[in-house]
Amino acid sequence: MGRKREVKELDTTRRLFIAGAAGGLVSSVIVGRLVNLQLLNQEEFEARALVNQISLVPGVPRRGLIFDRFGEPLATHRTSWNVYSAREDLPDLEETLARIAEVVDLSPERQERLVQNFRREQSFIPVSILTDLTYEQFTRLSVMRPQLPGVTIEASHARSYPRGRDFAHVVGYVARANQSEIDAALEGLDPEVDRQRISRIQGVLKHPNMRVGRLGVEKEMDDWLGGTPGNHRYVRNAQGRTIRRLDDDENAPKPGKDVHLTIDADLQREAIRLFGDHSGAAVLMDVNSGDILTLASNPTYDPNDFVNGISSVDYNALRENERAPLYHKAYDGVYPPGSTFKMIVGAAALRAGLTDSSERVYCPGHYDFGGRRFHCWERRGHGSVNLKGAIQKSCDVYFYEIARRLGPERIAAEARTFGLGISYELGMTGGASGVVPNDDWKRRRFNEPWYDGETLNYGIGQGYLTVSPLQLAVMTARLARTDGVAVMPRMVGVGDTVPQNRQFGAMPDAAIMQHLREGMFAVTSETGGTALRAGDINFNGYRMAGKTGTAQVRVISAAERVTGVIDNADLPRRLRDHGLFVGFAPYDNPKYAVAVVVEHGGGSSSAYPIARDLMHEAFVRDSGRAASYQIASNATDTEAI
Amino acid sequence: MPTSFAQTNDDFVSRVFRLPWIMILIMLGLGIFGVAVLYSSTITNPIEAGLPAKHAVRLGIAFVFLFALAMTPLGFWSAVSYTGYLGALLLLVGVEFFGAMGGGAQRWLDIGPIRVQPSEFMKLALLLALARFYHQVRASGEVKFFHHIFALLMIAAPVMLVFRQPDLGTSLMLAATGFAVMFFAGMRYWIIIAGLVAVVLSAPLAYFYVLKDYQRERVLTAIDPSRDPLGAGYQIQQAEIAIGSGGAEGRGYMQGTQSQLDYIPEQHTDFIFTVIAEEFGFVGSVGLIGAWIALFALGLMVAGRSRSHFGYLASSGAVVTIAFYVFVNIAMVSGMLPVVGVPLPLISYGGTAMLTVMAAFAVICATNLDRDKHLSISGFF
Repeated sequence: MGRKREVKELDTTRRLFIAGAAGGLVSSVIVGRLVNLQLLNQEEFEARALVNQISLVPGVPRRGLIFDRFGEPLATHRTSWNVYSAREDLPDLEETLARIAEVVDLSPERQERLVQNFRREQSFIPVSILTDLTYEQFTRLSVMRPQLPGVTIEASHARSYPRGRDFAHVVGYVARANQSEIDAALEGLDPEVDRQRISRIQGVLKHPNMRVGRLGVEKEMDDWLGGTPGNHRYVRNAQGRTIRRLDDDENAPKPGKDVHLTIDADLQREAIRLFGDHSGAAVLMDVNSGDILTLASNPTYDPNDFVNGISSVDYNALRENERAPLYHKAYDGVYPPGSTFKMIVGAAALRAGLTDSSERVYCPGHYDFGGRRFHCWERRGHGSVNLKGAIQKSCDVYFYEIARRLGPERIAAEARTFGLGISYELGMTGGASGVVPNDDWKRRRFNEPWYDGETLNYGIGQGYLTVSPLQLAVMTARLARTDGVAVMPRMVGVGDTVPQNRQFGAMPDAAIMQHLREGMFAVTSETGGTALRAGDINFNGYRMAGKTGTAQVRVISAAERVTGVIDNADLPRRLRDHGLFVGFAPYDNPKYAVAVVVEHGGGSSSAYPIARDLMHEAFVRDSGRAASYQIASNATDTEAI
Repeated sequence: MPTSFAQTNDDFVSRVFRLPWIMILIMLGLGIFGVAVLYSSTITNPIEAGLPAKHAVRLGIAFVFLFALAMTPLGFWSAVSYTGYLGALLLLVGVEFFGAMGGGAQRWLDIGPIRVQPSEFMKLALLLALARFYHQVRASGEVKFFHHIFALLMIAAPVMLVFRQPDLGTSLMLAATGFAVMFFAGMRYWIIIAGLVAVVLSAPLAYFYVLKDYQRERVLTAIDPSRDPLGAGYQIQQAEIAIGSGGAEGRGYMQGTQSQLDYIPEQHTDFIFTVIAEEFGFVGSVGLIGAWIALFALGLMVAGRSRSHFGYLASSGAVVTIAFYVFVNIAMVSGMLPVVGVPLPLISYGGTAMLTVMAAFAVICATNLDRDKHLSISGFF
């Protein structure tokens, strides 16, 4: 066994050590690599791990709600299941649409149009495929979901207007942002510098669930209601499947704030109902606070039709309707005030000392001036009338006379004092200022001087003078105030952007106001008044004082001047006069003012029943209920708008 | 069969006590840790839900297998070495001609219902055959240069066959094991150094003329993962992110986002080290490497204490085989080597490598049991 000794002569120990050393060397290289990856560059890799798993998705903020005076929802949300996708998430667009069409109704034409919609957008912008799924569509698509990678089936807050028709003009509606709205949102952003912000704004505004205010309060208060768009952060696995949504942080969209209106939704509905087939507008206002409780225009339309886009056929039908349902008559519509303007002329004359309450003017049924004969509406004449009688009987001749004495400038100044000729910021789009004409205005407008004959027409509220129903209500509320305060209207409970205290001179003296109110009381409550049936509002014995008005729609022809004006009932509707009525109640302690315009109503008799019934309803409903909102005109968040 | 044993006190119980228990406990620890990591890496994928349990069962079977082989006398290992080598070589040739396609390369051979992977079998067979060859050469006199040439041929034959399959990783591993045995058998240092220099110099030639396109691509991707960000480069990039984001202390068990969100392909097999590195951090990954190094050191000590030349060569070669798996795997997933498909023994899901490693450990254990025995081998069987 001597040969075995030779085995041990080999330097086995040294060779094992060398092998161990080589192993140690390899280990240190590997550990060095781990030091480099894990200890020296951990932050970089941690950041890359984060980029890996977190994807940013445009976050559509929840829109604020709109409530009426008592917390009744006017604009709210309902859950709507929508299907959308972005081109970059789809393996094959046509194939995906074809698969969807297997389970839900999606015509080839519609698919074709969707393909175009997808092609038009950048690949990361989500495009709507189906909106407002029925339960059946939803279940069918949910079953198919695994075969539809990249397609999102998501519940969203769809805008809904439970009081749709009653508030179409006030609340307005929302719609998908159009290109000009997107451009407006991007204005001032440099495509080079603000690339990320631009794509974020686009991503949100073009998102299928995003809506922007298009009209009314929805549009005017969009910044307040709309909230702040942001991003949602989703953890996605390697297959792109969403594992969970990360908790909200500063990136998350901020929901919009709610808006409370001063309007009483039930009263608004009653006003619309009272119009029946008539077209027109009614405004009811709290004399003391300026709260607008009713701002109704009839006929109206359903704003819910606009939320997901209205068909052009339906839209054209609305647009071409001669009663103009799309038109916000109470706020945007302007009408000659007719005889409802006479209190203003009277106030101007008393203030100027050009008459007093006892002076009598003889009315033979007409007034001759400058070679022309101006008729009183009562062809037989009113005889001798003072201011109260002239208001009570709406004698034109009396007001021809004092208007002539006043001249256009003093009438215009008084009209402004009572709130005519300016537009009111109520927190919704639109707002007509009407025209309170004077010499200067006419020169600018027609490049012609003011003619004295026009002053006479001014005195009975005709001619260039136009007012909106809202302005009439403001005028009436100011007439009703016994403390000489020029009350301002308000409708939104979160504050106003424009300072409202544009005061055109002080109100007339209390004594003057009292004379005017006495005239208005006589209109509805004393024998000979033009609206005796409007005096009793059938509530607690309260009496409404008011004034009727008729606004001529057509120019009375020379032939008619000879043969007599044709009765309105014999004219085609579009040529009939507008009927107007303004009033306040209760007479001895005014609380509400009302203004009603009935388009082509044929005369004031079409208007004052509506005013009377609406006033009745306002008192019936006014059982001391506190409003659910705080008027914020003196609160701090006025600044936030 | 003129194999003789000269040792007393060789009953079953004392052999059990003489097993290298520290090594076995380290292995058992690694195996259990592997099941835990596998659980973490498969929890998010319902298709992979059963894998940790399956792995645990395999591990149990492998330990029984290890125990049985470890108790086998060292003489038996040398007795079957040449036969095993020739059998494995025949199977490799069989793969060349009849092999079924598997994993994109011809590596499997269907024998009836059993599917065998001869290249894996060859790792152990080559080791044992070379150990026996040098043992017999030394027993009959000095090792001459032509003996090394013969050994080189013994290595070259399977390496070429495996390379043709093609399986670059396994063929390199076979070559490494073979050269390691030649080194331990006493090849002169200058020859080794010359050989290493030759390998380094011929690497560019091999790269351009021997490697196939996809293999070249892997090499390039290992150097710069971003050149193929959606394919192999993606895997490497995600693996680096996972390892790097683990940091010093890791993200915590089952807390690794890369692992839990399935960002790394093959994270339960070849790339399982990324899960360990991400969830247990630098501390965990160095601890794991440390456990393996302890095993290798103990294995080399067993080799150093072996009285028989066969035991010394077989167990030192076995250590190199296992170390090759471990080091190549970790270097591969951490982006230092091309992705060649070498699993991390005991921890990666998969049975083949586990069996090979267990068999190699069994050789070390058997050497330890018979370390004081002289082994007299002659002839072919």
